[in-house]
Amino acid sequence: MASRIELHLPSNMEYLGVPDAVLMEIGSDMDCSKNDLEELGTSVIEACTNAMEHGNQLDDELPIQVIFEVEGNEITITVLDKGPGFDFEHWTPSDELMRQRGRGILIMREFTDTLEFARQDDGRFMIRMVKKLKPSEDD
Amino acid sequence: MKLKERKRDGVAILEMSGKLMGGPDAETFNETLKTLIHEGCHNVIVSMERVKWVNSTGLGILISGYTTLKKNGGELKLLKVSDRIENIFIVSKLYTVFESFQDEDEAVQSFS
Repeated sequence: MASRIELHLPSNMEYLGVPDAVLMEIGSDMDCSKNDLEELGTSVIEACTNAMEHGNQLDDELPIQVIFEVEGNEITITVLDKGPGFDFEHWTPSDELMRQRGRGILIMREFTDTLEFARQDDGRFMIRMVKKLKPSEDD
Repeated sequence: MKLKERKRDGVAILEMSGKLMGGPDAETFNETLKTLIHEGCHNVIVSMERVKWVNSTGLGILISGYTTLKKNGGELKLLKVSDRIENIFIVSKLYTVFESFQDEDEAVQSFS
């Protein structure tokens, strides 16, 4: 049976560990690869960093929403903010190795099976990621 | 993120703990490096054994520190990076920039 957990977090980076902790708790009840779970954890931290910083401009009063949906060994995470988003259709990764910013999308793309950006009908910007976690013996 | 500083054979060892994620972390790290450079200590090892996770903003802090030390004739090397964090260095190709060690003696000797 699928399960769903929703979080509403203030746009304050101090809370970035919360979705990671929730994911690790979800994973503790699954027979899944620690590496896969950590890669998804890193990705949700990146999505929330983007949502808090670039989306809600670190405004404590503007919450981000994080939704976890678990079905078997597949986890879907949706992160929503109230910001302007970015031109995801024309995004290309920078090849400047020593740049100080701009690695979040690359990391999420590498660590998840599916990564999707969209503008919701209610105006919120959405990042959705899906990862099917391998069984633990694959570690 | 918290930093604890000690020195060994002229090399500063910064023991980092917690979560490396930008914001005030950048200021703490940059100020520590500035003080070390002012004291004439240009070679730094960042021990990441107690770092739970790093995000892309946190990576930027390490890159900035690496560049600052390099400009001052020094170097920033990493110690005891966890598998979780190492994976981020691999996908971002930053493993080609940062020298990384699991053994502190080896890391300190690499500067001599």
